[in-house]
Amino acid sequence: MNETRSQPLLDTEFWSVTVLLTVISALLMWGVVIFPIDAWLPEASTVSKDIDFIYRFMAFFSVPILVYVNGYIVYFMWRYHVAKGEDRTATGSDIHDHPGLEAAWTIVPSILMLILGVLSYVVLPKYYLASAASVATIEGIGHTFFFEFRYPGLAQPVDNDLHLPVGKQVTIDLTSSEPDIRNAVIHSFWVPEFRVKQDMIPGMIVPIHITPARIGTFRIICTEFCGVGHSDMVGKVVVESQSDFDNWFKSEQHMQSNGATQAPISIAGGDAAAGGQKFAAKCTTCHGTGAFAERKVGPGLGNLFHDPDHPTLVTGKPANADDVADIIEHGFSGDLGTMPNMQVNQLTPKDVANLVAYLESLHK
Amino acid sequence: MTISELQREASHAHIHPPPQGFVSRYVISFDHKVIAVQYFITSGLFFVLAGLLAEMIRAQLMQPHNTLLSAQTFSEAYSVHGSAMVWLVIIPVLTGGFGNLAMPLMIGARDVAFPWLNMFSFWLFPPAGILVFLSFLYGAPQAGWTEYPPVSLHTPGTALWCAGIFLIGVSSTITGINFMVTIIKMRAPGMTWTRMPLFVWATLVTAFLSAIATANLSAALAALFIEKIFHVPFYDPANGGSPVLWQHVFWFYSHPAVYIMILPAFGIVSEVLPTFVRRPIFGYRAIAYSSVAIGLVSFMVWAHHMFTSGLAQWVQLPFMILTMAVGIPTGIKIFSWVATLWRGRIRLSTPLLFVIGFLSCFTFGGITGVMLASVPADIHEHATYFVIAHLHYVLFGGSIFGIFAGLYYWWPKMTGRLLDERLGKIHFWVMFLAFNATFLPMHWLGLLGMQRRVAFYDNQFEGTNLLPMVAHTNVFVSISAFVLGLSMLIFAYNALRSATRGQVAGPNPWGARTLEWMTSSPPPYYNFAEIPLVLHGPYDYGKPLPYANISQDLATEPVD
Repeated sequence: MNETRSQPLLDTEFWSVTVLLTVISALLMWGVVIFPIDAWLPEASTVSKDIDFIYRFMAFFSVPILVYVNGYIVYFMWRYHVAKGEDRTATGSDIHDHPGLEAAWTIVPSILMLILGVLSYVVLPKYYLASAASVATIEGIGHTFFFEFRYPGLAQPVDNDLHLPVGKQVTIDLTSSEPDIRNAVIHSFWVPEFRVKQDMIPGMIVPIHITPARIGTFRIICTEFCGVGHSDMVGKVVVESQSDFDNWFKSEQHMQSNGATQAPISIAGGDAAAGGQKFAAKCTTCHGTGAFAERKVGPGLGNLFHDPDHPTLVTGKPANADDVADIIEHGFSGDLGTMPNMQVNQLTPKDVANLVAYLESLHK
Repeated sequence: MTISELQREASHAHIHPPPQGFVSRYVISFDHKVIAVQYFITSGLFFVLAGLLAEMIRAQLMQPHNTLLSAQTFSEAYSVHGSAMVWLVIIPVLTGGFGNLAMPLMIGARDVAFPWLNMFSFWLFPPAGILVFLSFLYGAPQAGWTEYPPVSLHTPGTALWCAGIFLIGVSSTITGINFMVTIIKMRAPGMTWTRMPLFVWATLVTAFLSAIATANLSAALAALFIEKIFHVPFYDPANGGSPVLWQHVFWFYSHPAVYIMILPAFGIVSEVLPTFVRRPIFGYRAIAYSSVAIGLVSFMVWAHHMFTSGLAQWVQLPFMILTMAVGIPTGIKIFSWVATLWRGRIRLSTPLLFVIGFLSCFTFGGITGVMLASVPADIHEHATYFVIAHLHYVLFGGSIFGIFAGLYYWWPKMTGRLLDERLGKIHFWVMFLAFNATFLPMHWLGLLGMQRRVAFYDNQFEGTNLLPMVAHTNVFVSISAFVLGLSMLIFAYNALRSATRGQVAGPNPWGARTLEWMTSSPPPYYNFAEIPLVLHGPYDYGKPLPYANISQDLATEPVD
């Protein structure tokens, strides 16, 4: 209707806008190329760099799509809008389609997707496929709400504290379990700096293979909702030189074999106020300060020392200060549930004494 | 068929009188237009409740270790927020609401194929929603809208949640079958497949998805319910079940459901665009057939939600490739819509603004969708705020913007009165800016290490230098989310105001060409005095109307 056939369909203004959008795209694509991913989130495993390359590739080609789509929307809206006072019933171009253009915007994205698919396919095995190169296989077990790691050569597991030698491939067999399997839920093992994530599923063992590339301490985060303590289910992975790792391993072996002869924690003279603060920071995820029946994950502890209905602790021992301290120190694991030990909860002996003092001060 | 044959066929149609009495007219109504309004009102109430839950979530995350909500209450809030927005707002509004309101009118029918079933599927909906919200009294679900067992089996409210979602699922299945039959059998004479409005194409594909996929959800929910109540092990590994089984059956429904939630919005965009750009939609066939392609492929991509669930690599590969393939027909649609703007005569009315907002946000959500399809990238992003950002760009930036475009567009058809343009534009700009301010920074939070479903986030940034930046970003996001919530009040005021002060619309206020505008606003009980004849496709702006048997005084000029 309104086509003036003497004018070309795509005029100088259109091409000027296209050039402008292309320049904006190019600048942003350059930004994608030089963006320092490593400075924001260290590339701490060998696969991190490969995965970040895929990110760069995706962002690089997403930029022109976003710039052209949004740019042309804004330009067309400005160029072709009907101003006040103009004929509001007039109609625009009657061009219905353009086979060449439509073929182009089908084929070009298809090719980009294909390349992305091939890239992903090449990177994937580095993370998943077992190779003979692993120096050790560690068992990683998710619990409510902490990570347990079992090393070959260590009699006792270490909780929330994974030590790995730099530059060596290790295999971690991931699963989830509880002393009573009915309580087991799905967790997930995520180390953002490694770009590695794998669900820990009860009844399934899934091995992953990691080669840490950088010395440092990183986070292990549970990313699958596992219950009321999910937010606090965070561990750490320490990547260290082979000699540091060996030292840690030896001291761990030494500590475990001498565990029985360690001096008992003195619980006398705890500070109830400091204990109350520690309780709010570390314990309230699972315990309230109400009556026994006001359960969260574990029972309410308001009457712990003064409850005629529950004169004994979950360990079967009487509710006295020494035995309460014993549970805080060593955790608990049994039919009634699981509670992490003082290392997992990052408590010092002084904290344990303060907590006992605080719990003694409560009286419902 | 010649025109005279078509006219002979159409003359067999006859008009039933409208029912008398309040209950049969407005409560137990068989009229698709009344049922549509019932869906809108019910979903509107659930939208307010689910929106308030969202604001509770954002209030809690204002501080890294906030004591406003307990971890349990926080989990209940996001679980019911997600469930309600998906099943009680977006799906019912787009299918039960817009499908009922517009589809029968657009194909020139007097009602859907099975009006009694239509009434029945609506009345399954309010009890379903009430059950989901009642679960708060018993300890609502905490594992998110996906309710992965075994952890979901540990919350008592899961049983009520299952029952509620089961009911809405049955409702959705029935509506799907009803709409399939209606569109296939009841189009006005002369309305061939390629003369069908694009919203009807979208509704047809959605109907197939609802009817086929939702049955899987019902089965999965029934099993979860039986396991919860009678301890028959389907999903709990302690008794020999498989937790990954739930993920498969759940996503076998819930991935097609993503397209149930977006295809009708695509349809709304395809209607609003040509009306306000006043030119034929660019690539009608490409847009129509790409909906079918998306519908087909949507059944073969479900395991892309499970790339960290221990699938074998050879299983991941086809799901990755097929997921990327969904991007191709989606891209075709977006590029066709942008090309429709080219050389139009664009009237910048509120429905068009929401469509533009849709295009901008949905393109972004589509691109992050491709980023989630690549398995190595997904492994890093899975279950983080990157996913939260992506899904809100698709479901809020896509579906909700589409819903508001449709509301502003069809409001005069539904009520006979226009919404205020000035308030509509303010609503759009506040909502558009607040939406992007809320969800754009979440991509960044997720990539840096903030996982989803956490009430506290101080722990996971301890030992990094990121916590202050993450905390400030969360404050910014929360404030934006409050503004986003407040923007809905502008719409609420506009809607109430239009009842008394809205401009009377007339049959065709926008000068559109599809059949729903060829009858009065609101349409009479029987929709059309005579069933119209369709001679051409609906989008040839500038040419004479492609219908016979419609009263000529209805083809009025736009009033805006």
